[in-house]
Amino acid sequence: MLNRKEAPFATEIKEINIKEADATLFQNGINLYSINAGNEEVLKIDFVFNAGSNMQQIKGQANFAAKMLSEGTSKYSAAEIAEKLDFYGAYFQAKSGTDDATITLYCLNKHLKNCIPYIVEILTDSLFPEKDLEILKKNTIQNLVVNEERNSFLARRKFNQSVFGGNSVYGSFSSKEDIIRIERTSLINFYKNQYQKGIKYIIVSGFVTDDVIKTIANNFDNAIFSHAIENKNKYVSNELVKETIYLDRENSVQSAIRIGKKLFNRNNPDFREMQLLNLILGGYFGSRLMKNIREEKGLTYGIYSAIESYPNDACWYIDTEINNDLCEMGVEEIYKEVKLIRTVKIGDDELRTAKNYLLGSFLRSIDGPFSLADRFKILKDYNLEYSYFHEYIEIIKKSTADNLIILANKHLNEETFTKVIVGAKK
Amino acid sequence: MINYNQYQLPNGLTVIHHFDDSTQLCVLNMLYNVGSKHENPSKTGFAHLFEHLMFGGSVNIEDFDTELQDAGGESNAFTSNDITNYYLTLPANNIETGFWLESDRMLSLDFNQESLDIQRNVVIEEFKERYLNQPYGDVWLKILPLAYKIHPYRWPTIGKEISHIENASLDDVKDFFKNFYCPNNAVLVIAGNISFDYTKTLVTKWFEPIPSQNFVQINYSQEPIQKEARFETIHADVPANMIVKAYHMPARTDLKYYAADMLTDLLGSGRSSRFYVELVKNKNLFSELDAYITGDVDAGLLIIEGKISEGISIEDAESSIIEVISNLKKGGISEDELTKIKNKSETNILFNDISALNKAMKLAYAWVLGDVDLVNKEAELYLKVTKQEIIDAANEIIIPSNCSTLYYLSKNVK
Repeated sequence: MLNRKEAPFATEIKEINIKEADATLFQNGINLYSINAGNEEVLKIDFVFNAGSNMQQIKGQANFAAKMLSEGTSKYSAAEIAEKLDFYGAYFQAKSGTDDATITLYCLNKHLKNCIPYIVEILTDSLFPEKDLEILKKNTIQNLVVNEERNSFLARRKFNQSVFGGNSVYGSFSSKEDIIRIERTSLINFYKNQYQKGIKYIIVSGFVTDDVIKTIANNFDNAIFSHAIENKNKYVSNELVKETIYLDRENSVQSAIRIGKKLFNRNNPDFREMQLLNLILGGYFGSRLMKNIREEKGLTYGIYSAIESYPNDACWYIDTEINNDLCEMGVEEIYKEVKLIRTVKIGDDELRTAKNYLLGSFLRSIDGPFSLADRFKILKDYNLEYSYFHEYIEIIKKSTADNLIILANKHLNEETFTKVIVGAKK
Repeated sequence: MINYNQYQLPNGLTVIHHFDDSTQLCVLNMLYNVGSKHENPSKTGFAHLFEHLMFGGSVNIEDFDTELQDAGGESNAFTSNDITNYYLTLPANNIETGFWLESDRMLSLDFNQESLDIQRNVVIEEFKERYLNQPYGDVWLKILPLAYKIHPYRWPTIGKEISHIENASLDDVKDFFKNFYCPNNAVLVIAGNISFDYTKTLVTKWFEPIPSQNFVQINYSQEPIQKEARFETIHADVPANMIVKAYHMPARTDLKYYAADMLTDLLGSGRSSRFYVELVKNKNLFSELDAYITGDVDAGLLIIEGKISEGISIEDAESSIIEVISNLKKGGISEDELTKIKNKSETNILFNDISALNKAMKLAYAWVLGDVDLVNKEAELYLKVTKQEIIDAANEIIIPSNCSTLYYLSKNVK
């Protein structure tokens, strides 16, 4: 007779196979990392540059430079570049983050040779036409204005400004006025210094054959390109701040809430165990915040907590949207849960479930060639080795309720939190 | 190419297996052939509310999520007009836990008033978060009842209004489950690093004992052909004017569907599309302008929607859209342009097929469409579309009498 009351036997995840990246060093000093995985003949190539907003002199410069890269070269107009890449079914993406910028090409293996010359063009000879800049400025402003109608967007912006400080690259946001002030010459300067002076590294993932490596080498292992010198920008973290910010938006139905503080980043030895602690509090569907505030009280559609790590700083926060009338109650419950995790030891069952879930989700995070490439980039960003991931398994498995309560008391004291609420005040 | 095995249990459950050893995971995808189009018009939003209740514990298992997480798994679900789809991923060697959980909630749920009360609140907050508290969030609440007068697609999956969700009773829940959540109205897809033999063993063990039900399919009427242009204007506290034009188009199973899909690619997908090049870049009448299809099983909608640049009147913006389309109808499509959209659709299909989860969902959905082999035939169906068929699609679909137009005007823009 089938016993449906009892769970089938499940095994613990003991070790994890991670397909590692292979390195090819070009004559010009650029490293090409390759991750060959998956069965479909598809490719993703990431070109990484020291062109994040940490390198900009003017707000918005890095973001606009990235977005304008494909707006025309002396050989091809913006329309021609778009037309050709679209013709080969390829996708081109240029994204500048806080600490670097990544130019990504997605394409099928059979079209790689046809697509690469356009990437070479974009990276060596971009023109930043005035007219396209004006259109991009207008459209970006309109987008920003729409975002500024979203309470959750406003809450995140206020929170980061408060925790990192408005002068930090992590707490800095472009305003409408900043966007209006952006000029073509400043983008050209940024391009010269941050793109043309060298590539940090290249990652290719997917169906990576020798032919793929050769094609990339033929185009990038030459005197046109060089290896970028490590960025030596000094980052100064501000002092811990603790603020309560209320932004009254009378027509809202719900209030966006973000509560948290500055934290250590991925390079800290406590980081991985802190991920486990965060998971238990608010990092997954079975977390305490989700169970209490969504599943028991029905106050929200979703609530979560997260660690946002950057190469030079980090923060931790809880985020949710709650009906205006019940906002106060929601905030009280949030603080109650934080206090509980600091004062009462986590039970065995809860800890076991969280560990098993975290290891399972680690397995999901390395599934497929592109996920493996993303994981590898994290190692590069923080100067880590693959041992970081293997140790991760050990650290999570060995973690105890005693350790976690110490960690919670050290880092999650409600007294130190910044609280941001954006909504209609009741 | 997605290789698969397919068979049916005596209780009517369809089983599809796909082997993929490039992953250390296994996916279990259960699709019930019920969506918001099967709802009672005075009790809308129910299929989706029910999806939430499926996580509230089943007859033998108190806590679905904890048991799954304990085995390293994760799950979620979504509801559409046509279907409700549940999926979970687990480390491949723990997949039996997924069979245990998914079969128990097919067997019976733990119906209780408290769980219903809470999930009703959660869904109401979801309604507010996604449809009311977002700029332009209520567009679908406005455009659907304008485009559909008869067909149940006239209400969105979240429901027509909050009161429908508030009024859902425990009896409604039980009836809904009894009728729709039976093995003979579902398809189970197992995809990932698991053999067909082992899949069969587990399916027999966990799903074969579940009895089939006398399942009654809900009948609803198809939308009659629209004969007059429809308009609505709303004023809201948003930063920019927006226009939405919705046209009826062929059903998902109609061969003409593919040409309509490619028509929207040609108009609005990517930076070399006609809308982007002519209206966003060259004339800058829009800050963004998209064309896409809803892709519903029954005759769905082809949507053109855009946010209008500051200083441009909505009427001028609208005529510019019509002009681009009439140029297409008159001037035709070049060979290169056709090859381009075909190449794009090939890329989309291959990139989508990297993940076992995507493949599992695709197999389940193809079953709903009546032909699982569509997962491998569709690439070819796109390649076969001719220039003339795309022009025909434009001529048949994008005409004033087939259109519902929504002017979503900003109170702050003159």
